[in-house]
Amino acid sequence: MAEALGASQEQLRCVVVTPEDTVVDQPARFVALPLYDGELGVAPLRQPLVGRLGYGQLRIRHDGRTDSYYVDGGFVEVADNVVSILTSRAVPAEKIDVEEVQQQLQAVAARKTTDAETTQQKHQAMRRLQAQLRVAQKGRTG
Amino acid sequence: MVNPRRLQRRRRSIANIRKITRTMELIATARFKRALERVHAASAYTQRITRIVQRLATAGLEVSHPLLEPRPEIRSARVLVLTSNRGLCGGYNANVLRAAMEHWDQCRQLPEAALEVSGKRGISFFRFRHIEPDQEYLHLAEKPTFDEVERLAEGYLEQFTSGRLDRLDVIYTRFISTAQQQVVVETLLPMSHLEEEPAPEKKAQAEEPPASRGVVPYEFLPSAASILEEIVPVSFKTRLFKCFLDAVVSEQIARMVAMKAATENAEELLKSITREYNRARQSRITSELLDVMGGVEALRGSS
Repeated sequence: MAEALGASQEQLRCVVVTPEDTVVDQPARFVALPLYDGELGVAPLRQPLVGRLGYGQLRIRHDGRTDSYYVDGGFVEVADNVVSILTSRAVPAEKIDVEEVQQQLQAVAARKTTDAETTQQKHQAMRRLQAQLRVAQKGRTG
Repeated sequence: MVNPRRLQRRRRSIANIRKITRTMELIATARFKRALERVHAASAYTQRITRIVQRLATAGLEVSHPLLEPRPEIRSARVLVLTSNRGLCGGYNANVLRAAMEHWDQCRQLPEAALEVSGKRGISFFRFRHIEPDQEYLHLAEKPTFDEVERLAEGYLEQFTSGRLDRLDVIYTRFISTAQQQVVVETLLPMSHLEEEPAPEKKAQAEEPPASRGVVPYEFLPSAASILEEIVPVSFKTRLFKCFLDAVVSEQIARMVAMKAATENAEELLKSITREYNRARQSRITSELLDVMGGVEALRGSS
């Protein structure tokens, strides 16, 4: 159904859905995604793809403008020039509360860990928060 | 004889109640619309998840995951009952609780059974029957957010994978359409199937041009197996979230219907009481007139 409405050959359509809302649904020239192990750029006519996302920045370029979002893991599906991003949370870069994130980061960093599992949880939480900070700072300068 | 003043008072109080029920109906309608939007938003997400699962299946991947495997022996079961915080919604809570009571009577035979209840109505229902719920939630009955439900879901997942939980059943009112809601007992863990509502998906696939699918193979990053491993818990979370959203929508529909019936009933009552009041007033006037006339007649006779 999404494909039927899909964009023309030279354009992508970027859709970001969370369980609560459809955050973004717009045409795009180029989309940069945070995959689990690094960034992936998607241009029109890309081969179909299903991928796992990590924590990081999503950039959507369209009409000379670049929108930046923080996405919190999830999945991406690219097919027929439609980029569908499924994530539990997507926040526009300028809406990230830097101070709060920093406070959370400090709290997490101060957490004491005793076994492998909690250490892993701590590292994961820190990676998430650091990614949010990075996205917030990049979004501000750009 | 009926006192017309008393009738008048009753009429006024019924008119007030009608005003209240009418307002509640309107509020329920507004809340229902908002809740329905959230259900639609969530189903956009679940549909896409389902599609990815289908892509994985067409890539020839065997769909297997620890969360999908039934346990040979069920030792510890968890029952989650979703009710509302507020009453005045017709049979909504009663229906859920009837099903819950039945199910709980079966489950409590198991060596380890725990009962979790969301919503004030359900909690007080079980307390009244001297069943203390093991876990109570109040904040999830009105406007459940994904963050909260996700936290809950992660707790269940953790317990299930570590073997402390063998089965999770959710009892709630499923929203099928505006005219139809149904109380269901759904087993969420272990998950019986990954694909939800397969019928509309299949249709959508048939409409797509076959060339775009058959020729171009999907690329999986990092691999189909790893994506499957990640997508199963996500699918569980969204399914649990859907249960909560459905419960909210069904509650508002039940309240709308109940309040509409109450308003109509009040209108009818008002009509019949007005009639009775008019009759009482008339008969009082008549009798007073008769009194006066009788007095006049008596005076004329004596003079």
